[in-house]
Amino acid sequence: MDEQLAKARRGERAALTLLVQTHQRSVYSLALRMLGTRDLAEDLTQEVFMQMNGNLSAIDSNRHLGFWLRQVTSNRAIDQLRRRARVRLTSLDEEPQLFSAEEASDPLLQRHLRALLADLSPQARAVLLLRYQEDLDPVEIARTLDMPLNTVKSHLKRSLESMREKTANMQSMRCEGSSYE
Amino acid sequence: MSKDIESQMRAALRAVAPSEEFTQKLVANVTSRLPAPPKPRRFAAGLRPLAWWFSASLAASVVLAVGVHQHLQQQRLQQSGLEARREVLEALRVTSQKLNLAYEAVKSQSTSLTDAQSGA
Repeated sequence: MDEQLAKARRGERAALTLLVQTHQRSVYSLALRMLGTRDLAEDLTQEVFMQMNGNLSAIDSNRHLGFWLRQVTSNRAIDQLRRRARVRLTSLDEEPQLFSAEEASDPLLQRHLRALLADLSPQARAVLLLRYQEDLDPVEIARTLDMPLNTVKSHLKRSLESMREKTANMQSMRCEGSSYE
Repeated sequence: MSKDIESQMRAALRAVAPSEEFTQKLVANVTSRLPAPPKPRRFAAGLRPLAWWFSASLAASVVLAVGVHQHLQQQRLQQSGLEARREVLEALRVTSQKLNLAYEAVKSQSTSLTDAQSGA
């Protein structure tokens, strides 16, 4: 794959297309869950790949490219969210592709988790996405977001605790609701 | 419970692909602004006639300089030869003048002696 990077740097269209296709899913998902709407996510994805195009000479491996894309996407998304006073939450109808047939048994719980994610601060949201979407460990997350390791661990701990608590409340309400039926 | 919420988070945050239409647009936009590939060969080829002219003019200058230097040296030698010849001729002329004067002196002396002897 590093060979594709070298070819893309030399201006080979096919190699650059392959690089975009390989990484677009990760960049787009990160942008979508950070910003909340498909339009904003598409705009950010486009900006990030255009920036990548101008910076290919500074990227030395495919691993480095993945790191660079996650870093630029997260930082740009955090900047956008800071500029906006209030983030519009993702409409659940807006992303039907998020729910696939193979998804785990409780789609309602997962919608709820995504809604809780959208309520977090931009930094905490980025930390959770890098941890559970991109499967990065806390050290890699700290490097990507240029954040102290302890801050990353604290965001993870606090966010998970809050989500666990709110999820438990939701489930108990659902149980109560079903017992009345 | 912690494992449970983590696995639920992983399932909820599974990466999603953008629409096919967006992918096509993205690829088209990104590849339309490909950086121009480096062209070192064309650049060198452009320089080649210039380099040839530079080398040729340098060689011609060297040859010309050597020729001029040799010509000037020969002229200097010729000049100093002529100078030496002129000096030798001058020296011969001066010597000849002195000899003439001496001869005239000796001759006038011997004439006066002869006259005195014949008078006595």
